[in-house]
Amino acid sequence: MLSPSSTRNDILVAKDVIVRFETAEGPITAVDNVSFNVRQGEFLSVIGPSGCGKSSLFNVIGGLLTHHQGSVEVGGETIDGPHKSIGMVFQEESTFPWRTVIDNVCFPLELIGLPKAKRIEKARTFIKMVGLDGFENRFPGELSGGMRQRVSLARTLASEPKILLMDEPFAALDEQTRLLLGDKVLQIQQQLQQTTLLITHNITEAVQMSDRILVMTYRPGKVKRIVDIDLPRPRTSEIVGSEAFGRYVAEIWNDLREEASRGLQDEEEHLHGASGS
Amino acid sequence: MSAAARRRSVYDWMPAALGIGTVVVFFAALEGLIQAGLINRFIVPPPSEIIGSFGRVLTEEHVVSRFFFTLGECFVAGVMITVFGVAGGVLLYRYKLLQQAVETWVAALAAAPVVLAYPLFMVIFGRSAWTIIMIGFVAALSPVVLKTLEGLSGTRKVLINVGKSFNLTGSQQFWKIMFPAALPTMFVGVRLGLIFALINIVGVEFLINYGGLGQLINDLAERYDLPGTYAAICFVILVSVVFFMFLEKAERWLRPVD
Amino acid sequence: MAETGRLTRTAPAAPMFSPVTLLRVAIILAFLAGWELLSRSGWLYRDVVPSWLAIGKALADLLLHADYYFNLGVTAGEIAAALAIGGVSGLAVGIVLGSNRFLAKAYEPYLYYLGPTPKIIFFPIMIMWFGVGPGSKIALGVLSCFFPVALSAAAGMRQIDKVLIKVGKSFRANTWQTVWKIYLPAMRHPIINGIRLGLGVALIGTLLAETKLSNKGIGFLIIQAYSVFDMPRMYAMLIVLFVLAIGANALVGRLGGLHTIRR
Repeated sequence: MLSPSSTRNDILVAKDVIVRFETAEGPITAVDNVSFNVRQGEFLSVIGPSGCGKSSLFNVIGGLLTHHQGSVEVGGETIDGPHKSIGMVFQEESTFPWRTVIDNVCFPLELIGLPKAKRIEKARTFIKMVGLDGFENRFPGELSGGMRQRVSLARTLASEPKILLMDEPFAALDEQTRLLLGDKVLQIQQQLQQTTLLITHNITEAVQMSDRILVMTYRPGKVKRIVDIDLPRPRTSEIVGSEAFGRYVAEIWNDLREEASRGLQDEEEHLHGASGS
Repeated sequence: MSAAARRRSVYDWMPAALGIGTVVVFFAALEGLIQAGLINRFIVPPPSEIIGSFGRVLTEEHVVSRFFFTLGECFVAGVMITVFGVAGGVLLYRYKLLQQAVETWVAALAAAPVVLAYPLFMVIFGRSAWTIIMIGFVAALSPVVLKTLEGLSGTRKVLINVGKSFNLTGSQQFWKIMFPAALPTMFVGVRLGLIFALINIVGVEFLINYGGLGQLINDLAERYDLPGTYAAICFVILVSVVFFMFLEKAERWLRPVD
Repeated sequence: MAETGRLTRTAPAAPMFSPVTLLRVAIILAFLAGWELLSRSGWLYRDVVPSWLAIGKALADLLLHADYYFNLGVTAGEIAAALAIGGVSGLAVGIVLGSNRFLAKAYEPYLYYLGPTPKIIFFPIMIMWFGVGPGSKIALGVLSCFFPVALSAAAGMRQIDKVLIKVGKSFRANTWQTVWKIYLPAMRHPIINGIRLGLGVALIGTLLAETKLSNKGIGFLIIQAYSVFDMPRMYAMLIVLFVLAIGANALVGRLGGLHTIRR
């Protein structure tokens, strides 16, 4: 069990983050005064229904969205654009189709000017870590969806970020692949003691992998609750069947159900309103 | 309109303003540089002089009759490509074997630099309007054929089934259903063809020093009437742009909303 | 090309040759025969339609003399230079316009509407600015190929998968790295197509300029043959020219095609 949070251990601090957008219907608040800390080495999931602003939060932390109020600090430095300590893994297909697997993984190393031999060596390590050794010279087009996401993961890991930030990386995959990849990620996280921030809407996934889960409300997105997941480590997908697991899932679903139904209602009203006017 | 929407429509004209503004600034700067002697006015006449010579060129050089001459050539070429192009497309659609044999050749014709053979056309047709029209015709035929074929081949299955359900004969099916359904695509082909035709026609007029607007430019250039040459070129570009815009509008008007 | 069903013609005797090939051969033979008949009939003025023998001789004469290759080199050099200058500047402008909505709305309409205009009419101006030598021909080629390349590149930029740009940003790639390692590879298909189009119009622009005013190059040779009414020679040159033009187009297309294995 992890010790209660102490500020010295915090690697990322989000303070009063507010994200507002102008839309055709007027201004909407995607994220409303969200504050939380991420401790070194922990696995924190942010979960919420569609429309809770978690993608906006992802973009804010990743530095792709700078138009917001409040601040996010990494190791004391305020984020004002993509930070070198943060590595992002996107939800969509993001491998470069014109590069082989190893060239994809070498990409961040090329950018910082690492010499070729070193790049290849490092890339191989991470390719092995995600379980794709043997596929170095294949093109993403020849791989399955799950394998491509692993390439994206290896690519981000190759830049050795202090914090791994992932936005529903397994959303496009089927359940079994998702569980197995989740195992892989857990393995890697354990091995590297990698601080990980996972944005997801999948409760099972969140409970399986996390030390803590941050539950968000429906729009405007606020922090509803932070749940400590007190399941033993090391964890594998086997844990999905255990009783404790089920209890955590039920607990979080309880929180989420309310938010999700608010979201559904809101959508219906919206559609009715649109067709009426 | 909401405040946000009103704000956005104000911003809509800004890009256009930037574009026009850049053009104006460019010509003003050019004028300045030339007047200051930094650019040789016998190589680049000042824009004010060019605009000034517009009037002279328009009246003295019978621009209007030249314009109609070029337009006439385009019209004849246009009629020819429509008649032969559509007929060709229908033929290829009707006889599948012919289509398989010849389609790639027709596509190659579209990519081939037909206009380069203008000396050959001159030998056959002389230095006359027919040379110009024939080059326009050959260069522009291919897109009409291909688009006609595409339009006929792409008729929605359901429309064909409607015809069958009314027991239409083959000929009725073709003329009452397929042909009308393919008209928008055919017009795209004709539009493309007309553009190719105009470009080639004006180009050849310039090259063989015969005809309407293209010949005007050549003539003025050979007379070393610098501002006149620039003015004539601007005028021809303007005609070309207006022609292109007109064809776009016509196509949009012909196409049913889908 | 539309896939068709059964063929309705009778089956060929030799199974090796498909009906399509046979028809093509038949058409070509009919054309060749018709041509030869026309040439010997005396209906047209002599040599307007020369016999195949005469054309063949002229072809051999053409290809066996170094003179032709010298002129071919001049023209090819002009086209290459035009494509290099027009291609690179077109790419640069296209990338800028494609990456910025505002600039695109401001300037792209100009490119779009000025593109399909006859560029040869600018030749007198090019001569004034660049002289009567290769410079004016190259300049005309540049003017011709700039537009299709720029428009293709701008369109190509807009169809790049947005997530790939985000990946670059997330790794803090600088502008040069982003253009070289992400934009250009992601746009290889539209760029290749733009270059194909650009090559086609640069070729036309350069050659037409040569026919108008030059003392070197293939265009010059063609107009020279016309002026002495050496028709077999003109036909021979046009045949070689068309073969080369279509071949170059196919080659560039093939180069682009090689990349499609990857996606």
